Amino acid sequence: MNRLLILACTLASLLLGAGSVSAHPHVWVTMKSAVVYGPDGAVVGMRHAWTFDDMYSAFAVQGLEQKKKGEFTSAELQPLAQVNVESLKEYDFFTYAKAGGKELAFVDPKEYHLEFDPKEAVLTLFFLLPLKTPLKAKSVNFQVFDPTYFVDFALAEKDAVALETAPAGCQFNVGKPHELTKEMAQMLADIPADGKIPSDSYGEAFANKINVKCP
Amino acid sequence: MPVNRMTGRMALALTLLAAAAVLVAADAVYAQGSAFGPRGDTIPSSGILGWMFAKQAEFYRSMSAVIRSAKTDGSAVWTLLGISFLYGIFHAAGPGHGKAVISSYLVANEETWRRGVVLSFASALLQAFVAVAVVGIAAVLLNATAGQMCSAGRVIELVSYALIMLVGARLIWVKGRGFLREARSLSSRPLHAVGAAVTPPEHKHHDHKHDDHCHDHAHHDHVHDHGHPQHGHGHDHGHHHAHDHDHGSAWGHAHGPEPEELAGPGGWRRGFSAIVAVGLRPCSGAIIVLVFALAQGLFWAGVAATFMMGLGTAITVAAIATLAVGFRSAAKQIAGTRSGYGMLAMRGIEVGAAVVVLGFGTLLLLGYMVAERGACF
Repeated sequence: MNRLLILACTLASLLLGAGSVSAHPHVWVTMKSAVVYGPDGAVVGMRHAWTFDDMYSAFAVQGLEQKKKGEFTSAELQPLAQVNVESLKEYDFFTYAKAGGKELAFVDPKEYHLEFDPKEAVLTLFFLLPLKTPLKAKSVNFQVFDPTYFVDFALAEKDAVALETAPAGCQFNVGKPHELTKEMAQMLADIPADGKIPSDSYGEAFANKINVKCP
Repeated sequence: MPVNRMTGRMALALTLLAAAAVLVAADAVYAQGSAFGPRGDTIPSSGILGWMFAKQAEFYRSMSAVIRSAKTDGSAVWTLLGISFLYGIFHAAGPGHGKAVISSYLVANEETWRRGVVLSFASALLQAFVAVAVVGIAAVLLNATAGQMCSAGRVIELVSYALIMLVGARLIWVKGRGFLREARSLSSRPLHAVGAAVTPPEHKHHDHKHDDHCHDHAHHDHVHDHGHPQHGHGHDHGHHHAHDHDHGSAWGHAHGPEPEELAGPGGWRRGFSAIVAVGLRPCSGAIIVLVFALAQGLFWAGVAATFMMGLGTAITVAAIATLAVGFRSAAKQIAGTRSGYGMLAMRGIEVGAAVVVLGFGTLLLLGYMVAERGACF
């Protein structure tokens, strides 16, 4: 009966394995992000500019009214921007902040709008993601990534990170995500069925990391 | 059981063949990867999984450039078809293409690998067809927005998951009764015979007879003659299987229908429900490609690409389904050499696979498992 048991187990793992979640991107985002400081020198939030790939952009603007063919004004795109920021809430805006080992909470985005680049036919979503409570800290870590890797985030080649109205002496460091390795692919394959990521262990691998330090 | 052994071997051979074909085809394109722009340096050197991730992303991303160039250069369409095909093969390794559901369905239903291949192709092509229909009706005819298409997609998705649950529940009902019957007939047998390593002659004879009978069914659906006047045997079968509440009495056997009988003519109708359950849900990648092609004024190129993706997807799904069927027939071969407990174990495997189908359907419907996140935000 042993051989039968082995076969049954192999079969079970094949069937369950075939249904396991192993993600793959359908949306590519080229990001530019700025850490925003308040007048008192506290970090108040993060300002994003996310440019979507041309295929997703074409999908997103499908059926939208336009005065001039091939072009969209920000006003025409504002309802879509509204939908974007509302839906992104479900995914925590793909943005995670930590200071002193503690997760920082964000509130709903402000100052959001979309721009359409008619030459490249791509959409860029601009929004400010405010921290729930502004924070004065020597060191703050930001991570931008999709834990399930449906959206691929990559830092722009030029001026990907900036500091906005930062106190003198503040500096930032950028860590790019590692290239997909065997271990990371395995991690993706191991994401539990409920899609929830057990810890921030995946972040280290996939995230675009921004660290700001102020004196 | 010569036919079974052959099925197992064929299954193995086909699986290896499919795997080899995938690797060869992928390698060919990989070698000329530079033809569609810089290859980038993101291809991990180790790990099949990582490599597959990188490949499918690469194929998908190159599609937009190829569709664009197809506007002026007709020959780019051939490149598009090739990329789409390969993308389908790699992409189906990811979630949401019914590999698990189809494989479990095949195992639970004791289907042949041939039927597994047909089911895989039918569901993948239906999936492509649904994607084309959704974009064709919503975007081309109604000029719907992405948000509206997403809403439509969600409804289709829920229907699909509910259907998967139904298929699973039905299988559990049928297979669970088979399991119980087997268990009952085991416990009613004299104790010393049950544990015996050698099958009691009477039982063996019985089984053997069945097998012959069943193989006849499977291979000569329409020609064999059981003395039924006028009506084809197939028709009768179909009727019984569709309702399947009176198998026992219909066949006059103590322990209900043999699996091969279930896989007989009426089975195609049940197979249809599995095809629809799995194939109803369009892949979001295909929808994005279709809308992009539409925006480029090349909708037909998007349609062709979608069907090529479906073809590629079908190959991967069929390979995995064949593997599952192969394992199952190997298990059956071992089980066949045992006493009653072997058959009980086989019924147990079938019930288990049926539970997997219901489980996937339930998790998907309740949103605990994300098949593939829609491109809706």
